[in-house]
Parts: sequence; C-alpha cells; structure tokens
Amino acid sequence: MGTRILTVEDDERIRTSVRLALEDEGWTVEEAASGEDALNAFTREAADVVLIDIMLPGIDGFDVCRAIRRASDVPIVMVTARADTHDVVAGLEAGADDYLTKPFAPKELSARIRALLRRARSADPGAPQMVFGDLEIIPEEGVVRLAGTDVHLTKTEFRLLVELATNPGRVLSREVLLERVWGYGYFGDGRLVDVHIRRLRTKIEPDPANPRYVVTIRGLGYKLQS
Amino acid sequence: MIRRLWGRLGLRARITGLYALGGLLLSLTIALSTLTLARQNLVEDREERAFSVAVRNAQRVENGLGAETEIEDVGVLLDNLTITEGSFPLLQVGDATRALDQAFDADAVPSSLRDLVQAGNAGRMRVRVNGRPLIVTGIPIPDTAAAYYEAAATDDVEDVLNTLGIIVLGVSAAATLLSAALGSWASRRALTPLGEVRLAAESLAAGELDTRLDPPADADLASLTASFNGMARSLEDRIERDARFASEVSHELRSPLMTLNASVEVLNNNRDSMTERNQTALDLLTDDVTRFTALVEDLLEISRYDVGTASLRAEPIDLVEFVRQSVDHSPYDVVIDVGALQHLVVAGDKRRLAQVVANLVDNAAKYGAGEIRVVVGHEDDFAIIAVEDEGPGVPEAERGVIFDRFSRGSVGGRRGHGTGSGLGLALVAEHVGLHGGDVWVDDRLDGSEGARFTVRIPIGDIPDDEEWA
Repeated sequence: MGTRILTVEDDERIRTSVRLALEDEGWTVEEAASGEDALNAFTREAADVVLIDIMLPGIDGFDVCRAIRRASDVPIVMVTARADTHDVVAGLEAGADDYLTKPFAPKELSARIRALLRRARSADPGAPQMVFGDLEIIPEEGVVRLAGTDVHLTKTEFRLLVELATNPGRVLSREVLLERVWGYGYFGDGRLVDVHIRRLRTKIEPDPANPRYVVTIRGLGYKLQS
Repeated sequence: MIRRLWGRLGLRARITGLYALGGLLLSLTIALSTLTLARQNLVEDREERAFSVAVRNAQRVENGLGAETEIEDVGVLLDNLTITEGSFPLLQVGDATRALDQAFDADAVPSSLRDLVQAGNAGRMRVRVNGRPLIVTGIPIPDTAAAYYEAAATDDVEDVLNTLGIIVLGVSAAATLLSAALGSWASRRALTPLGEVRLAAESLAAGELDTRLDPPADADLASLTASFNGMARSLEDRIERDARFASEVSHELRSPLMTLNASVEVLNNNRDSMTERNQTALDLLTDDVTRFTALVEDLLEISRYDVGTASLRAEPIDLVEFVRQSVDHSPYDVVIDVGALQHLVVAGDKRRLAQVVANLVDNAAKYGAGEIRVVVGHEDDFAIIAVEDEGPGVPEAERGVIFDRFSRGSVGGRRGHGTGSGLGLALVAEHVGLHGGDVWVDDRLDGSEGARFTVRIPIGDIPDDEEWA
C-alpha cells in the first residue's frame, strides 16, 4: 500500500491543486474540507502524514492537531499564515512536527513530507541500547523507557532524543539538530527544536522545569547527560 | 519698511517688544509728570520764599532810605539786611546802583523786569547769570525813586531736580527692561502650549501615530487641543485603514497564489508531454507566478510593519557563520571578507537578517557589476555587514530614496528592485530598523568604483537560550 496523505484545507481550489501536485509525487491523497471531516477521515483510516491548515471554520487546526495527536504519533505538517506569529509555537505545541507558511511551493511541501516519512521509518537496526540513569533508549525497537515504564514519544521526539543520545555529553546546536532531525539547513526555524525539546522534557524529565537529562547550554544548544 | 521688519519678527519677539514699549511709555509718563510736579513745587516754593525775603528786605531799605540819601551811603543799609547764602541784594537809587556782590550787578537785571519795576510794580523773573540760575525779585520804592532787587540762586533746586531726573530716568529704564522681561516670560508662557503642539506634530510626522495632546488646564486652549487630537485621530485611522487594506489584500492573494503555484507545478511535472508552444506559455506562466509570489510575500512582510505587527524574534547569531551560510545559499558568486574575525555574536532575527543579506546581494548582482563582496566587522557596540559591488555606484541624489518602496533609480535602469518586487531595499531598511540599526549606501571605502551598502545593527544583549522560543 502506498503512502497516504490527509490534507485538511477549507479552500477547495487549494485542496484540489495540492492534491494533484502530491499525487504527482506518487502519494495517495485524501481530502478533508473541515476539522470534523478530517477527524472522521482519520478515524476511518489512519494516514501516514497529515497536512493541516490552521485557519479552519468550525474546529480549528490546533484542535484537529491535538485530537489526532492524542490518538496517533502520525507526522503532522501545519500550514500557518505567518512565520513570525505565535501561531507557529501554538501549532508545534498542539503536536505538529513541522510547519509551512502560505503561500508555499508544493515542492517545499513534498520535501517536508519526505523528511517526515524518512524519520517515521528510520529505525537504526544496528544501534545499541543506551542507558542514562533511569532513562533507557532502544533505537532498534523505537522504544524509550523511564524507570522501566514505556514512554510514548512521537517519531520526531524520538529522533531528537536519539540524536542527543548518540552524542552523549556533547552539546548539539539548534542548527545541527534542525539538520539531522528535520533536514533543514542553517536557516531553519530554531523554534522547532525548542518546542520539541520542551515536549520531550515533559515526557522524560521528572521535573521538566529543572531538566536532568536534556539540558540547555546557554548560547550553544542542548545536550543529553546521564 | 518697519511693518515688514516687524512682521518678520517672531511672535515672542513682538510680544516682548510691545511689553517693553508699553513699559517705556508708562514709566516715561510717570517720570515726566513727577519731574514736572517736583519742579513746580520746588521752584515755586523757592520763589515764594525769595519773594517774601526780598519784600522784607525792601521794607527795611525803604525805612532806612531818606530823600537825600546818596548811593554812596547805602552800603551800610545793604550790610544790615538779612542776607542768606546765595542771595544777592542790589539797590538802585535814581540811575545809580549798588550791589553787594559781583555775582549780581545792575547788568544782570533783565530789562523787562527793570521796566516793570520802574512802572511801579513788583515782579520776579528767572534768569541765568554766568550759567547760574537765579530768581530775581524787583520791588519799587516809589517815595525815593529807588528800587530794590534781590537775586536768589536756585542751583541747589536745580541740583535736586537733576538728581531726581536721573533717578526717575533710571527707574524708567529699569521699568522698561522689567516690562520686556515680563513680556518675554508671558509670551513664553503663552506659547508653551504651541511648543507642545509643535513637539506633538513632529512626533506625528515621525510616525508616532498615537501621539495626542494632554487636555489643557486652560479653557482657552481646549479647542486647539481638541482639534489637534481630532486631526491626529483621523490621520491615524486613515493610515491604519490604508495599511490594513494593503495587508488584507496581500492576505487575500495568498490563497489564489497557492492554487496557482500548485497548478503550475502540476503542469511542469507534465511539461515533456506538451507542444513547444505550450511549453513556452507554461514557462512564461511559471516565471510570472514565481515573481508574483515573491511580490506578495514581500508585500505581506512589509505590511506587517505598516500594521504594526512586526516583532523582533532575537536569538544569538554568529554573524561570521551566518554570512558564510547566507553566501552558501546565494545563487550568486559572493566573496566574504571577515578580516581577522573568528566570531561576532549579535542578538538578531535570523529570518529577517537572512532576507537583508539576500536582498542586498541580489541588488548588487542585478544593478551592480563585477565581484560582490560581503564584509563583516564591528564598530563599538555595533556590528557591520556591508555589501560591495564594482558597478557604477549610486548617485548621491538617489542615496536617500533608494530605500523607498518602489523607488526607481536612474543608473542601471532600475536599481532598488532588490527582489524584483521593488520592495527589496525597502524591506532591508525596515528589517534593519526593527533591529534598532540603520542602513545606507555610499561609495566603496577603498576608493574604487562601486556601491557599498552598509548595515549597522547594535550587537545587543544576547538573549537566554530559550527565552525567545
């Protein structure tokens, strides 16, 4: 079965043209015109990637994002009006893995989707199990345990943790993490890293406000310490 | 002529002048009447006294004078008179006269007084003998065909009057100066609200559209303040409406642009199956959709400044690395000159600074010529990014307007269209301004031909790692 992409967009013309462009990439595209439609469609059949426009009538994009995130760790790309508003942070906090601003080129969207799919499918077969205090990371199985209990991470959060874990004690800058996890270059949005680190901390840190595993090194980046 | 000069003076100078003039007139009037009254009182008093003394003396002379008394014998008579200092008796018997003092002799008696006395009337006159002011009283002694004259010097009165005059004039001058000072103070006070209006107008002109005047304590000024504030409000409304309009239009354009971009891409995916004519048409369409998208993106970006929603997202940026990365991403060949700098960390908005560098490089590539150089340096608390080219440079007359929106320069046809949207350099100026810096263009520093665009931004406080997220 091919890759399924669910696009949630209320403007029919955009929806159709984006569908055509994504189908040219060889993907199967399912359309939803509203938040309700999207949730119904997703419940009916899970997608591999979800594309959500934040500005939706009825249930807005943030709520759709949160609802899907509660049920699944599917990669989500959201579409926002502007890069410099709080929308981006709000969307990332609602569970989106990446974002695009309107108007974007479909080529850019395809690149984002490919990066997300790569991340979702990458399990490092030979990678050894890693232990940091109570934190246990098993890359091969895509499993993280905290004091013996499974912790549920999204693919992006997991990828981020593994990047930090394979360089224990070394500081990784935002730029490096952006490149290795998201496939962005130097000019990627550092907020992607910051928000995902924050979300990661709420899941693996006993006290997210005073992290003991994923620590911030001021002005340089992040590192994982045991 | 005077009117013209007067009209050219400032309001404050005129009010001060009027106050001074008023003060001068008033004090002069008071001074002159004071002097006149004082003179009258003092002089009359002195005349009265001199007259009564003279009358008394004349009585004595008359008593001592017999019918046969010769002029040679009157010396004793005169000696026995009550003569105060500064008074000089003179006795005339027949045609002969006898004076007691050289200072007042027969020649000093004015002829009109002499005639009056000869006619049998007493009289007095003010005269000046050898520069000395005298009151001369003449009293006829008809029984012996004699006349008694007495002169009283009034120079002490003159002295008093002169001193008084000087004092009064001094007071007048002081009063005039005081009036001028008062006028100056009053006009300054009266014009203070105007000064506030001026400051408010300047602030409005500088783009502080929410500038308003405080309601004044003075009811006379309330209408001025009210109409100023009304004007500012409608100006603000109007400018905001225009800005919102531009912003809304650009937002509305995003959806059709999305459709256009996606559809053009779908067409391009199937370009190979098209006829040559269709391919040409598609290429034209693709180019213009791309340009149109860039224009709308720039419009959206710049309208954020107009609507006031542009906010700086500062993070620590190492400009040395930043410029290297920018150049790596640039479609043009660019040389970097960072000198001996290893790192230069500033608090900046990476997305916006990237656009600044990209637009300046783009501008240099399109309207300059030769090698494009990006120079990084610092000066005091400022970081410098300069983009140089080897083109014809920018004429001085255009250097100020080149950062205006849709400005069209003469050299190179259309220098100023950084991104081809006509907004490239305007966006550069807005982005740099948001960082609290400035940008300008001049000639290359090494004197060779070419333009140098210099961006200067404060290094700023490096924010904490996660504060800006």
